[in-house]
Amino acid sequence: MTDNGDRMIDEGGPVAPVAEATGILEPYEVFRQEKDGEPMRHGGNVMAPDAELALHYAREMFSRRGESVRLWVVRRADIGVLDDLDLLQPPLDRSFKKPGGYLMRDKLAAARGRAGTSKPKARQ
Amino acid sequence: MTTAVIALEPRVSAALAEFLLSMADDEFVIGFSDSEWTGIAPILEEDVAMSSIAQDELGHARALYELLATVLDDGRDADALAYDREPEAYRHARLLDHGRGDWATTIARRFLYDTADAARLASIGEGWAPLADLVAKIRREERYHVMHFTIWADRLARADGDARARFVAALEMLAPDASTVLAPPEGEAALLAVGILTRPMAEVAADWRTDVARTLGPLGIQLALEPAANSGPARTGHSDAFRWLWGEFTSVRRSEPGATW
Repeated sequence: MTDNGDRMIDEGGPVAPVAEATGILEPYEVFRQEKDGEPMRHGGNVMAPDAELALHYAREMFSRRGESVRLWVVRRADIGVLDDLDLLQPPLDRSFKKPGGYLMRDKLAAARGRAGTSKPKARQ
Repeated sequence: MTTAVIALEPRVSAALAEFLLSMADDEFVIGFSDSEWTGIAPILEEDVAMSSIAQDELGHARALYELLATVLDDGRDADALAYDREPEAYRHARLLDHGRGDWATTIARRFLYDTADAARLASIGEGWAPLADLVAKIRREERYHVMHFTIWADRLARADGDARARFVAALEMLAPDASTVLAPPEGEAALLAVGILTRPMAEVAADWRTDVARTLGPLGIQLALEPAANSGPARTGHSDAFRWLWGEFTSVRRSEPGATW
């Protein structure tokens, strides 16, 4: 619920670390779990003066109609951010490290046949 | 919603109807009153939270009016009970006759009301299953309301200057009427006898006063709360602020009596 672009993690902006919550409104990132067993996923953000109210507001914004079974909030200023984005861009061709081109399905089926096991089911 | 009507003695049924009406009117009046913050609350997040809580209260009122309709069994449905009465026939507590005022007044009113309402709900027993079932659901939402407004009371009281001054002034202004929420209902003895109530309201009110002092004491606020008065004067003779509110919440319904919306 914030649009002050210079602090938007989603857009890769820098985060100015603040020592501790000051009671002034600041952004909290909200993570939500949709169903038991699923990973916590980023849902969005709320503005709040502290983590307690941030959780209340997250509840109103992200689960008042039962859309979430679990919520986390993290003060945006507490998130560690990699500033040097160049570190994420390999400068040389590393495509040979990628497993594309290998067909594993038949090998796996043969291995399972030998072991007498079946393919694991997708998680519910 | 249909609720099986369980046979009640006339004396119990009359006391139950009065008790349901007072609770339903409390929730309806504070719910409608607080819904006026929609769009103008201090920050967007709190605007959504306050609007959502106001809707919770209207939902509780609706469920309580529906129960009341089964007890009265006089052909009136929840809408008729909520909207088709003159202002003098409403039985909400005098605490809610105070308008929502500024944000500090709203928080002070909510804090006093929600803590008292929680104490009242906790005093309701298994005597009449439809009410016991509903109360179990309502308490799951009211628990959050108490948390939310206790946090806000704490934040305003700890803030410097204007915020604290306004909040303390609002609490003091509302204090003389706060215990009206827990005024013993007429027919309390009958409700206690069949286990619809488990404790006399005077006892509930005494515990509530201790709880409020336990929250406000560490914040340096000493509030003089009255023991609960009897429900006649606590729930009749409403204010101009309420008559104005009544004009608002009945205006659409009165614009076309009998219409199907």
